[in-house]
Amino acid sequence: MTASVLTRPRTPAATVPAPRPRRRLGPGRAIPFGAVLGPALLLALWAVGSAAGWLDSRTLSAPWTVVTTAGELIADGRLQDNLAVSAQRAGIGLAVGTVIGIVLALVSGLSRWGEAILDGPVQIKRAIPGVALIPLLVLWLGIGEQMKITTIVLGVFVPVYIHTHNGLRTIDSRYVELGESLRLRPAVFLRRIVLPGALPGFLLGMRFAVVGAWLSLVVVEQINSTSGIGYMMDLARQYGQTDIIIVGLVLYGLLGLLSDGAVRLAQRKALSWRRTLAD
Amino acid sequence: MKPPPMDRRAFLSAALGAVALGLTGCAQDETPAEALALTAALPAAVPNGTKLVVGDKEHQKAIEFSGAAKGLTFEVEWANLSGGPQTLEAFRARALDIGSVADIPPIHSHWTGIPTKIVASKFRQDPLNHAIYRLGIAPGTSVATLADIRGKKVAYSPGQAQGALVLRVLHKAGLTKQDVELVELPSTGDVYANALASRQVDVAPIGGVQVKRYETKYGKDGATTIAHGLRDDPGHLYAPITVLADPAKAAAIREYVQVWARAWRWREANPDEWIERYYVKDQGLTTEDGRWIVANAGVADIPPTWTEAIARHQETIDLLAKETGNKPLKAEDLYDRRYETVAADALAAGGAR
Repeated sequence: MTASVLTRPRTPAATVPAPRPRRRLGPGRAIPFGAVLGPALLLALWAVGSAAGWLDSRTLSAPWTVVTTAGELIADGRLQDNLAVSAQRAGIGLAVGTVIGIVLALVSGLSRWGEAILDGPVQIKRAIPGVALIPLLVLWLGIGEQMKITTIVLGVFVPVYIHTHNGLRTIDSRYVELGESLRLRPAVFLRRIVLPGALPGFLLGMRFAVVGAWLSLVVVEQINSTSGIGYMMDLARQYGQTDIIIVGLVLYGLLGLLSDGAVRLAQRKALSWRRTLAD
Repeated sequence: MKPPPMDRRAFLSAALGAVALGLTGCAQDETPAEALALTAALPAAVPNGTKLVVGDKEHQKAIEFSGAAKGLTFEVEWANLSGGPQTLEAFRARALDIGSVADIPPIHSHWTGIPTKIVASKFRQDPLNHAIYRLGIAPGTSVATLADIRGKKVAYSPGQAQGALVLRVLHKAGLTKQDVELVELPSTGDVYANALASRQVDVAPIGGVQVKRYETKYGKDGATTIAHGLRDDPGHLYAPITVLADPAKAAAIREYVQVWARAWRWREANPDEWIERYYVKDQGLTTEDGRWIVANAGVADIPPTWTEAIARHQETIDLLAKETGNKPLKAEDLYDRRYETVAADALAAGGAR
């Protein structure tokens, strides 16, 4: 069938106009170290602003002051000790929240009854700010670690749920029909079609969740804490130590950037079969 | 006809939400087996297995450093909470047994339905020269005496000691609330110092190391602080009456008050160790800041009788009740006088130097 096409006489090359390079419609080739360019630019602006005196050092400390203060905090052991405690809280909250988010998304995504019962409450939770829930969480769970981790869990499970659920529900029905015609057992259908299909959504949810876990800390660590980045910043507020507060903010920025980067790396590895504009 | 599916879904989610709220809401409900009347004599011995949750984050360290924490015959769980709003919230959640505050929170606890009693009181010797607060004056505002406050924007935080201080300052200057513009602003962290620096308010009471920080940071812009000339030194330990009704906890509190009083003496006897271990190591301040705080705080006064303090507390209550529209209280009712001499007796008996 193809032979005739291949052997069809071609028009002489000379009559064809010189081929123009085709205009690409996508965003184009990746820029080397593109990911650090924006943050580096921001840092440069901050440094120039401080050096030139446009930024009042009493309201925004200079980058080098932040580095010196961070150095002192590390020498004291305060920064790493507080970070370790915060990381543990965020880690436990993230792990528990992710599991809850996945389980709820599966139940709600795969059954109409599950959705009827679960989706509404999750949307309600989504509309209630975490900070507003804290007084109630204190009443129910007290002022200990349980309350702190629960607050983080509540902040984490929602984005995982929303995006995983959305990923599940947007699986192309062709694949479901394929599974049906292959007479796949439910377990195989789940493993081969549902989970890979929901993976992009889940990973997007994780990008929100990892950063959200850090964000919850600043609030929960102001209540009955003696450790953690949030506590360190709150204490600095009590004593008017602006530079320590900015060290905390920079740390939050870095932690957010790094954890988001880690998920994106996992995303690239796990979704290597996809051909998208991201590549 | 079948109801539309959306209605059913909405109903189910609402029902589930209500069940979840109900389940979590009825957690934690413990009352002592036999209640102790508030007039009954304090039990002398603390039964085994008694636990006290104490929120007194600064003095906790003094009690630990002085070694007194080891000698307690009951279990202490330290909560890093102090100040009115936080301790009241924790009392409401039954997560705290005893808290450390100034003289306004015990009043507010009665007004907000969590009756408490003061079990220990601590003042400062020479209180006018060792005031906790100074009035911060915004850069560019000319306030040299209390009378100059007329017409100014004053930061005001009802429910906190700073709020009552503002009302008392106005009273002393012969002004009323109408003579100034009160700006409601909770005083947490560095809010007041920053509000002054950015000229959101003209006058605000600031305390502790914030005074020093504010003067050094914004002094060159014209920021100043002035003394208010009033006593602002009361510091109390207070507990909900539900805690005091538990005989085991009532006895533990008695022992705690003794240890608490001795630790004040320990702080005065060992200022360098206190500054180094608490302000520098634990709180991340400089030694210089620590010295400034200790010098500013002066010497603790733990009186053997509360009569005078109760009379002063009554004046504060009357002023607050008038200005905030709350019902007047008898200051006497805020104190559990069974504990009146506990602290002073412990100091007189000596020990823990």
